[in-house]
Amino acid sequence: MKSPLENTVLFHVGSVPVTEVVVVTWAIMVVLVLGASLAARRLSLRPSAFQAMLELIVTTVDGQIRDTMRVDPAPYRAFIGTLFVFIFVANWSSLVPGVEPPTAHLETDAALALLVFLAIIFFGVRAGGIGGYLRTFATPTPIMIPLNFVESLTRTFSLLVRLFGNVMSGVFVIGIVLSLAGLLVPIPFMALDLLTGAVQAYIFSVLAMVFIAGAVNETENTGKERKPT
Amino acid sequence: MSIDWWTLGIETVNVAVLVWLLGRFFWRPVSAMIAGRRAEATRLLDEAEARKKEAAAALDDIRKTRDGFAAEREAILAQARADAGKERAALIEKARADAAALQAEARAATEAEKTAAAAEWTERSARLALEIARKLMARLDGAHVQDAFTDWLVAAIGRLPDDTRQAAVSGAALEAVSATPIEARMQAEIAMRVSKALGASPAITFGTDPSLIAGLELRGPHLAIANSWKADLDRILAEVTHER
Repeated sequence: MKSPLENTVLFHVGSVPVTEVVVVTWAIMVVLVLGASLAARRLSLRPSAFQAMLELIVTTVDGQIRDTMRVDPAPYRAFIGTLFVFIFVANWSSLVPGVEPPTAHLETDAALALLVFLAIIFFGVRAGGIGGYLRTFATPTPIMIPLNFVESLTRTFSLLVRLFGNVMSGVFVIGIVLSLAGLLVPIPFMALDLLTGAVQAYIFSVLAMVFIAGAVNETENTGKERKPT
Repeated sequence: MSIDWWTLGIETVNVAVLVWLLGRFFWRPVSAMIAGRRAEATRLLDEAEARKKEAAAALDDIRKTRDGFAAEREAILAQARADAGKERAALIEKARADAAALQAEARAATEAEKTAAAAEWTERSARLALEIARKLMARLDGAHVQDAFTDWLVAAIGRLPDDTRQAAVSGAALEAVSATPIEARMQAEIAMRVSKALGASPAITFGTDPSLIAGLELRGPHLAIANSWKADLDRILAEVTHER
């Protein structure tokens, strides 16, 4: 059995190595984009069952954003929704024989955490400008600047570690069980791994929403506190 | 365990591109469709509400029109009742007038019939009385009756004015007319008494007229003395019929 911690380089583009994780991610991207574009072409005011399911997904994501962030979901829908869908599909891609979930590799989880980190900065700056966002690090007192800065890094790192640990451990467990037991024994573990994958996709998305909402709200509140003075 | 930085970078770009692609081809169209359906539903609800209000207004108009119909119907019925009452009163009044006129006409006709019947019966009674009188007179003694009539003729001549008597005897012949022929002796006596009553001696001829029944009349160009039962009965009959 191949270790999930190893990156198998399939080919090189120039000096850039293209690993198996990247190829699987590309495949997931192609499936999602083609499926979405095909589904979006058939949209109508009188929805089919499939369109109703798609609209249910969008409505559910909107509801989660509205409940968690207390803001209009439109600016955050694409980012949060795509994070959830991608992590969900990536975690469940282990159902395809021979495919290893991209989220079981540290680079993909780090990329997702990095994008959340950048999104926090982007939405924070958009809410109150660069100065406004940077001032959030000095709240409640400038003494907190190092701690707030470390917090912003550690919470991003916690996203990375949580997702990577859960998915990678699931892959490890299934691999070990497969190597020890026969054909049917790993099935409960695979089902548990699917549940874990769905829960982790939800948790990652919710935490991303919480962090982004925290940055946006802190920036807006800091701006409001400064204006009266 | 080590991190492949190339893979990290490519995966970062991959997810970022996926966010953009899905945002463009999935999240935005589907959310736009949901918003469009919500807007369409709102529009349809507003339109339905407007139609509902229009329908309610139309219903109110219809209700008002129906109320107007009912009031108009009541007015027409009241007018018809009033007209019918007037017409009925006029017809009753006309019927009463016609009945009164018919009654008056019938009463007048009855009165006329009664009057005509009474006149007819009076005339019949008079004629019957005359006929009875004629038959009774015919059975009386002729000589005595003739004497009585001669007396009444002389008396009538005596009641004449003088100028009438003189005109009667002025050269013209007189005729003494009786119902039956008079004997010569009686003719002479009658001529003598008449001449004496006239105060002159005119020529007197004698004639007969059975229609006189009984009597003696003197007739001339300027004189006519009706002295007979026929004349009396005619006078009575004239008086009776004149009274009628």
